[in-house]
Amino acid sequence: MNNSNQKKRNFQIEAFKHKVVVDPKYADKTWRLLEHAIDEIYNQNASGLSFEELYRCAYNMVLHKYGEKLYTGLVSTMTSHLVTMSRCIENAHGETFLDELNNKWTDHNKALQMIRDILMYMDRSYVPGSHKTPVHALGLNLWRDNVIHLTGIQTRLQNSLLQLIHKERTGHVINHGMMRNIIKMLSDLGPSVYQVDFERPFLEASGDFYRIESREFIEICDCGDYLQKAERRLNEEIDRVERYLSPRSEVKITNVVEKEMIANHMTRLVHMEDSGLVNMIVDDKYEDLKRMYKLFQRVPNGLSTIREVMTSHSRETGMQLVTDPEKLKDPVDFVQCLLNKKDKYDKIISSAFNNDKSFVNALNSSFEFFINRSARSPEFISLFVDDKLRKGLKGVGEEDVEVVLDKVMMMFRYLHEKDVFEKYYKQHLAKRLLSGKDVSDDAERSLVLKLKTECGYQFTSKLEGMFTDMKTSQDTNDGFYANHGADLGDGPSLAVQVLTTGSWPTQPIATCNLPTELTSLCDKFRSYYLGTHSGRRLSWQTNMGTADIKANFGTGQKHELTVSTYQMCVLMLFNNNDQLTYKELEQATEIPTLDLKRCLQSMACVKGKNVLKKEPMSKDVGEDDVFSVNEKFTSKFYKVRIGTVVAQKETEPEKHETRQRVEEDRKPQIEAAIVRIMKARRVLDHNNVIAEVIKQLQSRFLANPSEIKKRIESLIERDFLERDGSDRKLYQYLA
Amino acid sequence: MAIQKDRVRFNVGGKIFETTATTLAIAGRDSYFAAMFDDNWDLQPNPAGEYFIDRNPDCFAILLDLLRTGELYVPPNVPERLLYREALFYGLADHVRSAKWGRFDGNRLHLLKSITGRAPGDGTAIRASSEGGCCVAHGSMVHIYDWMLEEHPPINLDYQRVNDAGWVGPVDPNGLVISTCERLGRGQGGMGLFNSTTGELRYKFSVTHENVVKSYTAGALCFNDGYNLFSSCKGRSNEYGIGVWDQNTGQQVDFFYEPPGWSLGDADKLQWLNGSNCLLVATLFPRKDNCYISLLDFRSKSMVWSWSDMWSPANSDDRRVRDAIAMEENGSICVVNEFEDLGFMDLRRDSGSVRWSSRSRIMKGKMPDEPCYPKLALHEGQLFSSMNDCISVFCGSDWVLTSRLKRSFGGSICDFSIGGDRLFALHSEENVFDVWETPPPSIV
Repeated sequence: MNNSNQKKRNFQIEAFKHKVVVDPKYADKTWRLLEHAIDEIYNQNASGLSFEELYRCAYNMVLHKYGEKLYTGLVSTMTSHLVTMSRCIENAHGETFLDELNNKWTDHNKALQMIRDILMYMDRSYVPGSHKTPVHALGLNLWRDNVIHLTGIQTRLQNSLLQLIHKERTGHVINHGMMRNIIKMLSDLGPSVYQVDFERPFLEASGDFYRIESREFIEICDCGDYLQKAERRLNEEIDRVERYLSPRSEVKITNVVEKEMIANHMTRLVHMEDSGLVNMIVDDKYEDLKRMYKLFQRVPNGLSTIREVMTSHSRETGMQLVTDPEKLKDPVDFVQCLLNKKDKYDKIISSAFNNDKSFVNALNSSFEFFINRSARSPEFISLFVDDKLRKGLKGVGEEDVEVVLDKVMMMFRYLHEKDVFEKYYKQHLAKRLLSGKDVSDDAERSLVLKLKTECGYQFTSKLEGMFTDMKTSQDTNDGFYANHGADLGDGPSLAVQVLTTGSWPTQPIATCNLPTELTSLCDKFRSYYLGTHSGRRLSWQTNMGTADIKANFGTGQKHELTVSTYQMCVLMLFNNNDQLTYKELEQATEIPTLDLKRCLQSMACVKGKNVLKKEPMSKDVGEDDVFSVNEKFTSKFYKVRIGTVVAQKETEPEKHETRQRVEEDRKPQIEAAIVRIMKARRVLDHNNVIAEVIKQLQSRFLANPSEIKKRIESLIERDFLERDGSDRKLYQYLA
Repeated sequence: MAIQKDRVRFNVGGKIFETTATTLAIAGRDSYFAAMFDDNWDLQPNPAGEYFIDRNPDCFAILLDLLRTGELYVPPNVPERLLYREALFYGLADHVRSAKWGRFDGNRLHLLKSITGRAPGDGTAIRASSEGGCCVAHGSMVHIYDWMLEEHPPINLDYQRVNDAGWVGPVDPNGLVISTCERLGRGQGGMGLFNSTTGELRYKFSVTHENVVKSYTAGALCFNDGYNLFSSCKGRSNEYGIGVWDQNTGQQVDFFYEPPGWSLGDADKLQWLNGSNCLLVATLFPRKDNCYISLLDFRSKSMVWSWSDMWSPANSDDRRVRDAIAMEENGSICVVNEFEDLGFMDLRRDSGSVRWSSRSRIMKGKMPDEPCYPKLALHEGQLFSSMNDCISVFCGSDWVLTSRLKRSFGGSICDFSIGGDRLFALHSEENVFDVWETPPPSIV
């Protein structure tokens, strides 16, 4: 004590003027003190140590430039303690090995913390300037080199960890806390230690394990069960990472499971007999499908595999549907089947496939594929709409109507030949509008609006024109009766629809002879109409009209008959004649033969509607048949609707005719497109012209290249284009 | 006895202090107190209920007060050096540093100290470090001062003239890059990264042209946030231009060759523009007869903006640009002439003319014996310009003169630098530099 006081005083007097000579043994003494303390700390006997003294000692050593000595001393002391520890660990038997390692690691950490505390000043002042490792990191490095990487420990540690994990995988319970500690130790020793000493072997062992297990499973399980097992394994591994592995391992281990359990068996799973993907789709197994989607999503090409199988299956069944001759008999059922199919797949995609866009697209393309395989699709879809709008929507809420219409629009979108659909739709709409019965105006307009948003203004302008005609006709009729109502008396009343030529699918037709009661009325209307609209021409489309007539039958029965204009003409003749032959009827009415036969058939041969009697009572109408009023006609209804002209699917010749009309209509459109393109490009080669024309027209129909070629040739003939002199493949636009 | 559970009693060098564990916790984990009270130690006070520490009680009082209040008050009788030593012992040096001076504000600067060096010649450059220290280059020597303004062993460049120096920044507080002149025939010169505490050379930055390592003279230096280092380089076979290196690896990553009729390799000033990812390069009178200012875009290897007075009327001798600085927020470049008139150029228009502000102080004719050309610096929206023996501070959108820093001796200021919330000004006549800092925030 005395001695040190002396020294201190000297120190103060000399005050940094020259280097203070310290007792040469000072450093050794101080270090021995610190070394002893480190020993005691490792022996867990630190309670007798003075923190203040130790800190001061370390401080003084650094201050007096003995930092190097302090540091190397620390390294050797700590190393010797770790060597002792490693022997204990090596000597631990069997299961106690990991426990011993864990305990020693805890001890070392605690000691390290305390050593760092007393050597804090060295860490702060000596270590940075001398490129040494700070105390904490030093302690970890020494532990790694002297304990973990010891031959007797390294492999044993690895094997013990892998064994425990294997045990857990096979259903045993293991000590998670200890696993977590040891694995955290490896992580603390640096990412490379964790990877080399644990992660890599762990991934290899896991790969082997799951390879064997998946081979076993796939032999004994059906697809759904297998997927369930794979999902469970995957979740187990994710749980394991959460419980005691480094979070960085999650992707790696899940990749192993995905590869071994899913990717390697993907094709086999998908095509598994009686339980594969196709069966799941057929049986609507949403849970299984969802699981498959979630699992396959994780592996490369997984989803595309599902998608391909789904696509080919839907195409196959779709083709069966559109080529099924049974289905072709009933257009409404045909379309309904398509819609059901679409609903089924939509449900699968939304509830199992996460509404995956690529699946939606694949489904759309397969629908597009097979719907266009049947040339009758446009017609049938239009017929389906016709059916729905005529009767199917009665008593159905507005929102449900929208749902049906939206589905129809979906089908419409798939069509390549939208112009064919338009043609049929126009015909069917015309019939609906003119029959004037129970048509839901809102639904009709809503559908037209949808078509308009889908295909643009041009597509629907004529359809809209039809609606306008209906509206103006109403006004015209009102005006007619307002003007002439007084002098018309009690005669028959007339409702005229004035149709703009061009907007309606009408053909010029010979007018039949109307009953005299009507001719005068019609003439009055004509003069009224032409009086208000000068410069127009009116012609009667008697083939499209309807009439309500009151009839008294011999039994005293009174009925109101709803009939077509032709039928009305026929019936009115019986007001003055009891019996008429076919020939007489034909002469009197001048109705075209086919139509006359059809209307007679519907009045004489249909049970419950047979207001006429025919001799002989055969099914067909012959040239020599004789007709009379069926006085015994009865019906429980007051109003009887007879043989209304219902839109029916076309017969073969009609179909052929429509087809030809469509082809004719396409010609000017193709030509217009060619001219538009050439006008803009001036010079273009053949293939590009074809490609651009197809592109321009695809919203309406799929143009046929050979037809385009014909059109080009026709345009060349008419001097719109010419071939380039040097390159025959080039066309030039002639202004 | 203890009523409060967390009360702690110290006996420091014979003097009793009482405080609380909460106050001590402010010192942080890397302090003496945190280590001492760690559970591992299970420390017991002596029978008197005290913990003994064999240190200076006066300094302990100051440091304890710092922990309690966050403020540093050093009584006149306690030498700062003593306090710093004690702070180092307890691991409280960072606390002391951050409490010692306030956030930088050019209008509230106080002269802390003038430090006299011992170099004979003119100073070349002074550079503030991010920690509040600085380095001073003259001749072939670089003197290092830490934030306590303690001088460290100087770095001696072995007779190579130092052109510029730069601190690597917060990622490597000890890293100092020094650029020097090439020495003919020795293959030396260029740039090196030094450890400022030990003075050792970590590595040299070399320049390679067509896979051949060439010796070169490194001029002005500049760093960017992406750990790149830029320097103007002059090689012997006209390999002039701007070199780019990776700070972490020391590898050359790019080289922008000087276009004909332009000057890059002689540049006096480089400035990295964060917003536009461009480098401002300025070569100024009197190094060259004309001034060249350009913005380089290294991604497209193009000069995206340039200006020179080559084409200006010859009569504008008094409008010679002596320093330039880009002000990205204003989209302009500020220049200064030798009479400390500020001029502005629009960065958004190419090759515009200089709009001089006619703030000119009538200085012509009464220049001091040893004039120093004006220099510019920009710091957080404040513009600084040095002229002779004083530094002017300009603020606001119109750059109004708001403060002037001046000291009565030392002669003209040849260089100044702002960093670590301090301003350092190096005088040319006598070998003195001044340290200016903002006082800590007021108590209320």
